[in-house]
Amino acid sequence: MTNATKTGMIDFRGVNKWFGSLNVLKDITLSVEPREVVVVCGPSGSGKSTLIRCINGLEAIKDGDLVVDGQRLGDPATNMTQLRTEIGFVFQSFNLYPHKTALENVTLAPIHVRKIPRAEAEQAGRDLLAKVGLADKINAYPSQLSGGQQQRVAIARCLGMRPKIMLFDEPTSALDPEMISEVLDVMVAVAEEGMTMMVVTHEMGFARKVAQRVVFMDAGAIVESGTPEEFFSAPKTDRSRAFLSKILRH
Amino acid sequence: MIWQQLQSLAGSYPLALRGLGMTVMLSAISLVLGTLLGFGLGILRTGGNRLISAVIGAWVDLIRGTPFLVQIFLIFFILPEFGIELDAFTAGIIALTNLAACFICEIVAAGIRSVPTGQVEAALASGLSRWQRMRQVVLPQAMRIVLPPLVGQYVLLIKDSSVVSAIGLTDLTRVGWLVVQRVPNGLLVFFLVGVGYFIVCYPLIMLARRLERRMGAAHGEVQL
Amino acid sequence: MLENFSFRTIIEYLPLFGQGLITTVWLSALSFAGALAVGIVLAAMNLQRGRLFRIAAKAYIDAVRATPLLAQLYFLYFGLPRLGLVLPELVVGIIALSLNSGAYVAEIIRAGILSIPRGQVEAGVASGMTYVQRMRLVILPQAFKVTIPPLLGQAIVLVKDSALLSLISVSELTRAGQLLASDRFMPAEGFITIAAFYLLLYYGLKGLAALSSRWLGLQPARSST
Ligand SMILES: Nc1ncnc2c1ncn2[C@@H]1O[C@H](COP(=O)(O)OP(=O)(O)OP(=O)(O)O)[C@@H](O)[C@H]1O
Ligand SMILES: [Mg+2]
Repeated sequence: MTNATKTGMIDFRGVNKWFGSLNVLKDITLSVEPREVVVVCGPSGSGKSTLIRCINGLEAIKDGDLVVDGQRLGDPATNMTQLRTEIGFVFQSFNLYPHKTALENVTLAPIHVRKIPRAEAEQAGRDLLAKVGLADKINAYPSQLSGGQQQRVAIARCLGMRPKIMLFDEPTSALDPEMISEVLDVMVAVAEEGMTMMVVTHEMGFARKVAQRVVFMDAGAIVESGTPEEFFSAPKTDRSRAFLSKILRH
Repeated sequence: MIWQQLQSLAGSYPLALRGLGMTVMLSAISLVLGTLLGFGLGILRTGGNRLISAVIGAWVDLIRGTPFLVQIFLIFFILPEFGIELDAFTAGIIALTNLAACFICEIVAAGIRSVPTGQVEAALASGLSRWQRMRQVVLPQAMRIVLPPLVGQYVLLIKDSSVVSAIGLTDLTRVGWLVVQRVPNGLLVFFLVGVGYFIVCYPLIMLARRLERRMGAAHGEVQL
Repeated sequence: MLENFSFRTIIEYLPLFGQGLITTVWLSALSFAGALAVGIVLAAMNLQRGRLFRIAAKAYIDAVRATPLLAQLYFLYFGLPRLGLVLPELVVGIIALSLNSGAYVAEIIRAGILSIPRGQVEAGVASGMTYVQRMRLVILPQAFKVTIPPLLGQAIVLVKDSALLSLISVSELTRAGQLLASDRFMPAEGFITIAAFYLLLYYGLKGLAALSSRWLGLQPARSST
């Protein structure tokens, strides 16, 4: 990590990505500081998921530079598996392992990747599940949990790896309305502990509460970026105004 | 006359036991080897290397496209021309193992493909290595899809082992063939041969059916 | 090594292989027709209210599935004469293949009928159809569609199984290979050639199965070969 140029935790410099002939990320430049919380929003298909999936290498970038925690993605010297252990990723559809209990979901990677002794990992796992309010669901299988509970297990599963960065891809959009807040509360708590976070979400309450910055994407490009105050009260572009009027009406 | 035949049949009982033993041994050895090889091939088949996958696919097609009897003849009569001397037993094991491996490869590959990509992504994101992803996340879920046809495949394997009697191995079918030369009652002799296979195969068929029914059960609650 | 692999001998024996191939094709076709007949009868028995029919059909299917075709073939080959039925080997072979494949065909038909949603049956009942009308007008036309690809899969199995008939000296394709192997001590030429012919049949039927499921608008066939 000595070759790290001074900069943020996550650094996009002129990143482009194509799916076939579709330019899904257009010349993205964006830097996220340590302990910063950035909310990404924008219309469907604008490239939000693709943007954060690039950060842990679930998608490969075509050109430009993407430096995460001082390591350049696509660089032969970068150990992607190692880097991924520093990055938690929360999916819209939870993606819990259906054949493992809540606790096993949380301890799998710590035991096998971090090589933490089982007993220790399980204790830590129990503590984490208690922290997300699921002390009584330790031995439940995902199929026995509600969507909100599953998503909280998924967050605990990421925290179990003690990551430096957490990425969230619409973590609440697959949830029934009454479950959204229980997940957001956990995310707020994580943010307040100083985690570096990038969150794709349309939950503007969450953005106002913890985000230092809101990034608005449209058609693969970052159109606007500013503090939540600026963005919500005085959106600068027509597209962001149109977008905000749509989501705020709901 | 039937009495005489029965007596004569009773006298063939050590031979019959030997035949049954041979059938079970042939099947068991190639079942274990074929399963190991089949899982390995199935994992490689879905492993993302196009060339390897295509080569395996082509080989599987060759094996699925030709009669097992012809495969046995090819192995038994042609490998020696490459300087590999084989006895009938080894040839039988090779042929059966290869056959089982090819079918199991496709079963395993189908199981692996049935695991949602989100599962692999979640495993990737938490830094599991390739093998750990396979071992901890993909295979356990694929097993739900794999297990019923796998057991069904074992039944086919046991039945296919009868074909190695064609290169002179004294398995259960061959014993029937030998006995019927002395006791000219084909109905009775091959009925008994059939009973021998039935005893081995039927429980497996029942197991396969049960597994198939259980597959409908809720995700996660079924621990395999 | 195979340095003396003799294409000339293969060409010399080509008429024999050709005859074997033709025999394999038509005896498989006949057996498949027989298997369809057996399968339909068994499936019909399975659908009867009477328990006896159902039990008999199930017992037959289980007995066939739990024993090897070769033992079944020998059972008929050595057994039929005892019943006073001395038939040509070829006929015995066709009977054995029909009876064997028939059990699998019955299962395919059953799965096809079971795949029809219950709502369809209820709609039939609701519009006052009799059992036979429901079967003929509602269930079977739909079930027919989904059975085509697996039936073609079974046809592939049958063609390969027909090789066993060489063991009761029916002059089909595998027998032709055996003849070349034993007459001229050329097993490589004999068996590689017939393997190629079988592959031809295999890819033909496989292509047909893929086409049929496209025509019928089904998912690509998971053929049960
Ligand atoms: N694997 C893929 N192959 C081809 N195109 C893709 C792929 N994944 C995404 N796309 C396309 O890339 C564009 C951006 O997709 P992305 O999922 O990043 O959008 P998004 O902003 O997350 O949208 P949503 O709000 O619907 O999740 C879309 O047009 C999508 O159709
Ligand atoms: Mg998205």
